[in-house]
This record gives sequence, C-alpha cells and structure tokens, in this order.
Amino acid sequence: MITFDTLFTKDRIYISNKTNQKDIFMEVYQDLLKQNCVTKDFLRNLCERERNYPTGIDLAPIDPSLPNIAIPHTESQFVKTSGIVPIKLNHPIYFYNMIHPKEELPVSFLFMILNQDGQEQTSLLASIMDFINSCDKDELTAFFQMKDSEDLFNFLKNNFKGVIAND
Amino acid sequence: MIKILAACGAGVNSSHQIKSALENEMKKRGYQVSVDTTMIKDINQDKLEHYDIFTQIANSNLGFEINIPVVDAGPILYRIPTMAEPVYQELEDTIKKLGKK
Repeated sequence: MITFDTLFTKDRIYISNKTNQKDIFMEVYQDLLKQNCVTKDFLRNLCERERNYPTGIDLAPIDPSLPNIAIPHTESQFVKTSGIVPIKLNHPIYFYNMIHPKEELPVSFLFMILNQDGQEQTSLLASIMDFINSCDKDELTAFFQMKDSEDLFNFLKNNFKGVIAND
Repeated sequence: MIKILAACGAGVNSSHQIKSALENEMKKRGYQVSVDTTMIKDINQDKLEHYDIFTQIANSNLGFEINIPVVDAGPILYRIPTMAEPVYQELEDTIKKLGKK
C-alpha cells in the first residue's frame, strides 16, 4: 500500500546547494548510507544508470510554468528500504530526458526512488506523477520553490495521495 | 494471447508502470495481452524471440537489430490520458497488423 507515511520521512528530505549531478548524488548517498537505506554500491549504480538510462522528466506537457524533475533510481538490490526521497536543487542542473534521451533538461527537483522490492511495489513512479498531476499548479510552483525542508515535508504530507488515477 | 516485453533501465518502476497500463487498456479494448518486464541490459535476441511486440521508454540501442514491432511507450508514464492515448492506439494498430487474438 502506497501512503505518505510509508514513503516519506523527515530525515530523508534534502535541499542541495551542489552544482553538478555527481556532487548531489554523493551528498544524498552519504546520508542515505548513514541511515542504512542503501548499500555501498548504490552511488556507483545510481550514476551508471543515470548515464545509460536517464531519468529527467519534462513537466511542460503538464504545465509549461513548472520546473522539470528527475526520478533517479537504481536496481532493487542496491537499496534496503522503499520510499521516495525529495531533493530540492537550489541550482538547477541538467539531466537527460527519460523519454527523449538526447535532449537535456534543466532540473530543479528530484524525487529519488528507493524501490527495495521491484516486483511488488511498482507504483512509486505513478504516485509521483499523480501527485504532480493532482496538485493545484500555483501551489505546486510554490512547492518547488520552498527553501525549507519542513515546508516541503508538510506540503507533501497534505498533498501526496498515493496512486490516484486508474491506468 | 499477445506477448509484450517492456524494458527500462532498472527493470522496476517505469517498465512495471507500462505493464500495468498496457494490460488494463488493451483488456478494455478486447485484446488478450500479457506483458513481461525486464532490464534493458538483460535483453538479447533469444529473449526477444519469445515476444510479439517490444515496448520501450525511449529509443534504446540494444546493439542488435530488433526483428519484432517496437512501440515507444514513454508518454504513458505521465499518467495523462491524452498523452497515453497515441501510445495505446499505436499498440492496437500494431496488434491488428500481427493478426493475433
């Protein structure tokens, strides 16, 4: 069952001042490792995956005023829990577009997916997209600009509803 | 039964999303569809021989020629009906061309 409480914790929300993908991944990885959420090989796999199969998502089709996001993740064997890790980027960085991998997108927010049991918990990505699709667009724009992790957490708590739409 | 292979980088998340969406929608349209998911790096020619259609998130270079129809299913991930519709339509057209039930 996908609910806010099972996927998000206050200790796993980040606001990064780093200016490149590698440094952001390193910063978050080191803390996730400390929290015993990922294995030592997580970072290497995360970087390799992002290079070969990028995860940037262009939000313009949803609303052209929204910044873009990315959903970095690894294979299940490198994580020890299931959840979604919000990472606000104070400096937008470029990710390649998941659907059009030759296109680069400036990305301002990451929803890193930790998916421990790939076969069973398949809807984490769907729950992120349903969150974005269901939010009021002005409120969502404000969310993406929040500077405080407590504010990010509370907005998610109030607006993240799990999987809403049927396929 | 139409057998489809859905692939993405990690073999979780995206490909499962595609599987669930395609199976539901094609059932509604009256087709019997079974979708397996895999990591892109685990695909080889032998594996593809067991499937009628290959669906991918983005254009993937597998390093060999794909001999079955390929449908790009990435837009489904947005979970917006108007974006998913062209993918469903292309898949339905592809199934019709195969002439299988």
